[in-house]
Amino acid sequence: MSGAHPAPDRLPARPWMRDLFASLGREPAGIAGFLMLVLFLAGAVFERRLITFPQTDSRWHDITYWDEQPANAPPAWTNAFARQKSAVSLLLSPSQSRQETSDSARLVTCVFTYNYGFDLPPRDLVVRFAGSGEIPVALTLTRPDGQEITLDQEQVSAGSGTDIRISVDKSAGQAALGFLQGYESAETMTGADVDRIRPTTVLFSQARQGMLAAPRPLKGGYQVTLLAVLTTEGAQVSNPMLLVTGRVSGLLGTDNSKRDLWSGVIAGIKWALLIGLLTAFVSVAIGVVWGITAAYFGGPVNWLMQRVFEIFSNQPVLPLLIVISAVFKPSIWFLIVIMSAFFWTGPVKTVYAMALSIREETYIEASRALGAGSARLIFRHMVPLLIPYAFASMALSVPGAVVYESTVSLLGLGDATIVTWGQILHDAFTGGAVLGGLWWWVAPPGLMIALMGMTFSFIGFAMDRILHPKLRTR
Amino acid sequence: MYLRYAVRRVLNALAIFVIEMFIFSVLFTATAEKTVRAQIEESLQPEAARLRNASAEQVQRFVAERRAYLYRVSHLDRPMPVRVLWRTADTVTFQFGNSITIKSSQGERNVWRIIMETVPRTVLLFTTSIALQVLLGVWLGLKQAQRAGRTLDRSASIVTMVVYGLPTWWVAMIFIMLLAYKLPIFPSGGMHVLPPPQGLSSAVDLVWHMALPVITLVLVNFWGVALLARNIVLSILQEDYISAARARGLTERTVLFGHAMRTAAPPLTTIALLSLLSSVFGNIIFEGIFSWPGMGNLYWISVEQGDTAVTLGLLAVTTAMYIAGLAFLDLIYGLLDPRIKTGASP
Repeated sequence: MSGAHPAPDRLPARPWMRDLFASLGREPAGIAGFLMLVLFLAGAVFERRLITFPQTDSRWHDITYWDEQPANAPPAWTNAFARQKSAVSLLLSPSQSRQETSDSARLVTCVFTYNYGFDLPPRDLVVRFAGSGEIPVALTLTRPDGQEITLDQEQVSAGSGTDIRISVDKSAGQAALGFLQGYESAETMTGADVDRIRPTTVLFSQARQGMLAAPRPLKGGYQVTLLAVLTTEGAQVSNPMLLVTGRVSGLLGTDNSKRDLWSGVIAGIKWALLIGLLTAFVSVAIGVVWGITAAYFGGPVNWLMQRVFEIFSNQPVLPLLIVISAVFKPSIWFLIVIMSAFFWTGPVKTVYAMALSIREETYIEASRALGAGSARLIFRHMVPLLIPYAFASMALSVPGAVVYESTVSLLGLGDATIVTWGQILHDAFTGGAVLGGLWWWVAPPGLMIALMGMTFSFIGFAMDRILHPKLRTR
Repeated sequence: MYLRYAVRRVLNALAIFVIEMFIFSVLFTATAEKTVRAQIEESLQPEAARLRNASAEQVQRFVAERRAYLYRVSHLDRPMPVRVLWRTADTVTFQFGNSITIKSSQGERNVWRIIMETVPRTVLLFTTSIALQVLLGVWLGLKQAQRAGRTLDRSASIVTMVVYGLPTWWVAMIFIMLLAYKLPIFPSGGMHVLPPPQGLSSAVDLVWHMALPVITLVLVNFWGVALLARNIVLSILQEDYISAARARGLTERTVLFGHAMRTAAPPLTTIALLSLLSSVFGNIIFEGIFSWPGMGNLYWISVEQGDTAVTLGLLAVTTAMYIAGLAFLDLIYGLLDPRIKTGASP
């Protein structure tokens, strides 16, 4: 077959498909579905630019990676609707940093400037640096009203380049108590104790009587100064940072393991697309070929294929999927294989019926008379006619695959090397997010599953309507 | 004729069940035996401890003999293929052995008893919601088919597409958050308040606890039934005999219920029930969100506690119920469709 004329036996396929996609452009649901699909694909492609934590995917289950975030914090934009604005999480570099050398020691001073303009103070201020050797350090806070408070003095011992963190919340309780004593009566102070006061609440409040019971925020520029004395030769302080652990964080807040949910939800897009599309493609391909082959050969081949079909279609898929996941702890790829091994039964019955009538067409007979073999007849003459139906069927089986993977993950049986929406919901459910009303943890992942389902049901139903015009209107 | 059809269908279902249980045994025998071995070792220890006056050698011999005996009883001494066949036989006869940690409310360790305790609760929850789904779905589907292409039909179709990929358990989480915690209208889970009330108030309490799970299931799933009903009725309304009936001047009501519904009833009943049956097994985990103590909840517990015997037993029972359900629907269809009764090819 060469030259200007296209192979005649390919003809049926292309116009059908072009027709299908052209008609899809006229269905509002089809357009909506395709737009949403484009958005999802864009989300998967530009994932790196969208997420705030680049290693979300590989280190989702690694708690140390998320240490800098507050736990269970609502999204930062909730401030817009709140009467009292909450401090937002920040990572600050020193505004000044100098090193003075005297005869026996070097003195490192780092000043961080934090502009506090909220009503509710941060949960914690954490000074962190990479330290080497035995280092005496002191932490002081200079408030906008000029007061200077020594927060903490201690000796840190570090190996070489150890990550040192000094938390104001944990170490400045005594300092905060001392600061309170200057303003509150002795009577009030009997009710205060180090374990119950929040240092940041005291330190970020206006200094006056009654500040313990009813703190008023003192807004303005705060300076946190880190003073480190390096006495030995190898002692070192490098890369100092001030971490402001806010009460609100990120676009979608955080979960109880301090993970940024926006990053998790966005990183889940590609996995959902992969699971849905791959499972749908493989299973529908098997189903279409299975149905056609059974119809084409008939007789004992058909009988055998129908019996195998019955065994698979009489199996409730989700329970088996759960048990297989519980017993074998499969990776995401293995899960896709198992799902494909059961989802293929979906299109078989319809394909079989359609193939039975196609088999009787005269062009099949003509082709056979010309000496075409079974494989050629099936794949070249019968499969192309069923491609539009296969597309609709694929689109409609994507949501099922996504939901099934989520359900398996909801039970805590998901692939622990990746992050999927179902896993986030598992953590939310077991972490008490439903009881605690942490909506930013429960709603977004489920909404994404729902939107993914909608995308493909819009496309699938639109295709279905095009293929069955009788059902459109009377 | 129908009897022959029925017998064949039942035998077919039994054969499928046995084959599937055989496949499961091939897959899971190795895992299941770990539990059995651990249970045997556990039972040996107290027995050995009872032999106070025996020498160490005697104790060792006793334990070895006892172990060999217990292995023989549980067929653990046979080669793998034989063990797989024994496991198949045990599973088909619903002998699932004993659980590791889970107990029934009577304190029994027998897996079959544990599962059977949960089955009625699952049946209660899901049959209630299926009944409501069929009623609402068929009603809406008929309305849609009558006015196909109009506002009601279009908006209902959009909602059907919107809820198509919605996980019921997630909707349940949202509803619990809104309607059990933010606005405490419904209880957040379980079957009864503690302590369970007696008499009539017990039934009221049960309905109150069932309300939110049922509402969730119905709200998410009845749209699918409506779409099926709409499509079946709509394709029948385009038949010639319907046009003929209309041409004779019959009212739309008579045409719909007297003519169209008579043809639509058999496929509608079976297809709607079929789709709902598979939705039950796709939603079974949903019970865990409401701590509804049925089979779905037992799946959660057994998976979380790693109680393999219960998990495998549940899978066998669930599969048996599904196969039985499908066969039962075929039998109903055979009754409703005269072509099967008379022996004509369906």
